[in-house]
Amino acid sequence: MDTARILVVDDDREIAGAIEKLLKMEGFEVVKAYDGMEALDALVANQVQLIILDIMMPKLDGLSTMMKIRNEKNIPIILLSAKSEDSDKILGLSMGADDYVTKPFNPQELVARVKSHLRRYMQLGDMYNANSSGKIVVGGLCLDTEKAELYVDGEPVKLTAKEFKILELLMRNAGCVFSAEQIYERVWQETAYSVENTVMVHIRRIREKIEINPREPKYLKVVWGIGYKIEKI
Amino acid sequence: MATKLRRFSRSNITKFIAFALTVILVTASVVLVTYLSNRDMNPEAIFVKEYVRSEAFTDGELTHAIADVINHFVNDTESIQPEPEYMFYITDGEKVKSNAGLGEILAQEDYMYLFEKGKWVFGKNTSKNVRIYLGDDITLYLVYPQEYMDQKQEKWNEERKLQLSFLISLLQAGIVSLICVIYLIAVTGRKAGDDEVHLSPYMDKIYSDIQLGVLLLTGLFWALGMENFLWDYHLSEKKPILSMQQVILLVCAGTITALTTIVCGVILLSLVRKIKAGKLLKHSLIGAIFIGISGFIRSFFNDSRFSHYPLTKSLYRRQAIFTAASGGMVFMTFILVLTTRNLFASLVPVVLEGIIIFWYFYENNRTFEEINQGFQESLAEQMKSEKMKVDLITNVSHDLKTPLTSIISYVDLLAKEDLPESARDYVNILAEKSGRLKNIVSDLFDLAKSTSGNLPLELERLDLKKLVEQTLADMEDDIARSGLRIKANLPEMPVYIFSDGKKLYRVFQNVIGNALKYSLQGTRVFIDMVTHDRNVDVSIKNTASYDMDFTAEEVLQRFSRGDKSRSTEGSGLGLSIAESFARACGGSFKVEIDGDQFRVKMGFTTVD
Repeated sequence: MDTARILVVDDDREIAGAIEKLLKMEGFEVVKAYDGMEALDALVANQVQLIILDIMMPKLDGLSTMMKIRNEKNIPIILLSAKSEDSDKILGLSMGADDYVTKPFNPQELVARVKSHLRRYMQLGDMYNANSSGKIVVGGLCLDTEKAELYVDGEPVKLTAKEFKILELLMRNAGCVFSAEQIYERVWQETAYSVENTVMVHIRRIREKIEINPREPKYLKVVWGIGYKIEKI
Repeated sequence: MATKLRRFSRSNITKFIAFALTVILVTASVVLVTYLSNRDMNPEAIFVKEYVRSEAFTDGELTHAIADVINHFVNDTESIQPEPEYMFYITDGEKVKSNAGLGEILAQEDYMYLFEKGKWVFGKNTSKNVRIYLGDDITLYLVYPQEYMDQKQEKWNEERKLQLSFLISLLQAGIVSLICVIYLIAVTGRKAGDDEVHLSPYMDKIYSDIQLGVLLLTGLFWALGMENFLWDYHLSEKKPILSMQQVILLVCAGTITALTTIVCGVILLSLVRKIKAGKLLKHSLIGAIFIGISGFIRSFFNDSRFSHYPLTKSLYRRQAIFTAASGGMVFMTFILVLTTRNLFASLVPVVLEGIIIFWYFYENNRTFEEINQGFQESLAEQMKSEKMKVDLITNVSHDLKTPLTSIISYVDLLAKEDLPESARDYVNILAEKSGRLKNIVSDLFDLAKSTSGNLPLELERLDLKKLVEQTLADMEDDIARSGLRIKANLPEMPVYIFSDGKKLYRVFQNVIGNALKYSLQGTRVFIDMVTHDRNVDVSIKNTASYDMDFTAEEVLQRFSRGDKSRSTEGSGLGLSIAESFARACGGSFKVEIDGDQFRVKMGFTTVD
């Protein structure tokens, strides 16, 4: 892998500095900017593969900066913000961000997310376009139904037969909510009777395999009191 | 001594005895009088010593005798039936009728009644109270022989003796019951302990005038009944033994009197208590109605309740003026039409009324405008302060999170440095504490948002039973680690409610997490869900592993920690957040502490 260059934008110099050191330890090159305008300038001056962007900044805020960047570039953008509301996350993601990390963040998680996005951007860009038969793609997940293989951001992940079937069902119908009974009856092919626990255990195992932070899943979500779904991304 | 006496005189037993005594004595007296009346005893015997002077003799026996004699004389009947006890001699100068010789009659001159030349002449031992006029030419000699009168007098004396003894009994009974009544009036409402007037919680609740009405009606009915008993049955003969019918009558009279006395006594004492407490008039139906009406009328003219609202007050006053002025105008029109019969003159009040109407509407419209404006302003103010509150929460949260981000990041970097052993320990502590601080800030933010009513909700129809199952499955690791067993008792059928699943998950996660954290090792955590009607109740019960020296209210208070000494994880806001979220989701949330049992009860409304 070529050394990726990452642009870190945060008006708080200490935070920007910390992220810089963190990423440098992982072997990335880092460019820093302290507001939106500087970020735009830095983008012109440097070839950047990923941007970590704070939302609340002076001069030009993160969301506006992101919209300006999106006009020209399609590189991954991870929004970084103290705003932790669902509505903030939805707004950020719908405006073109690839990920949303709330402050205070777990440094390891941030690094994992950076790596995940970079992999997808640098190595698997063709995968989205290919969309060959027998492959179901949801975000960074790619399920090859013919070979019975799952790739998360390009990395192969081992699944059991049941886990694979559950994931296949949910990914084929991304965005649709399935109850535990429905999942059980389709995957186990048996009449479902008090199966919530069984299904949930499998869901949790799958989550641990495909999610960066299983506690805040990005793909496989529990719809409380109703069922489970794979988020349509 | 005085207190002892007071305690005795005011004790309920004494009062009861006095009351019972009064009832018994009054009843006995009435029964006695009824008995006397049924024995057909003439009370005159008490007042008149001599039979010959009594009305019973004069107006009874004697008058009858004279009437019989005259009848005999005028109608020429053969004789007077039955054979009379008296001797008579009557003549009008021509005709003579008699049942004895004149000499025999004159021999008892002292007992003789003589009517001669239109006047009565009385003997020594006679009643001198005969006023019957027989005619100028009639001469009548009438004698009740001495033996007969002596015999009569003896009987009279016997009756008199008997009646006097009855009278004395009656008087005694009367005096004793009067004393009892006075005593009862004096002590009713008083208690030994103090000098307050104690109103009875039952009897004295009844309005005074209703009590009075009942009292009078009862008295009236009693009087009517007694009249029947006393005077309707003159079947009696002067026999010492009463007939069966009369005995029944006496029993009836006694019973009715006893009941009447009890009812009247109770009411009377209640009234006395009210008088003592000065509440007789106030606590009457008429009083209550009067107070109500006067309050209602006064409310028309009293605008003090609007004193804090000058606009409403002016509206109110204008309304009063308008109503009064309009009434006056109508009246004036009437008068003018009736007196002058002049069309123009009677139009004057109509025009005035028009002006009044114009003034009324013009001024009111202005006031309404002002009210609306004020309302708008206060609404805007409220919105502004609401927004400020949200902004404040957001800003404070941001200001807390930003430095925390730096701390966590640099602690993480520090951990990656090559550090000596002791420094590594310090860094670990820093990492742990900054992690906890992160949780607290995040919980605090959630709590502040939900308690300020700014929690965005995504409401949907969901199965609460499933939600609990999912939560339990999700927390399986935590449950396994805690070593506790969960005993979930959930209904067979889905329990649909309309709520926010994510928030409710948070609620159950917090409550169950709390139970896991603070339960005694080896005990079980019970989760029960019961549906009834359109409600579902969920209770989560666990046995605490420590002394719960706090109340159910305290545990929900922000930052109060169930177990202050031991655990260092968590923000202490878990239950508060659970409560706040459950409420926001349209449910109820209650904590109950019973010994070592810690129970959270939640209730939601189900939907189809």
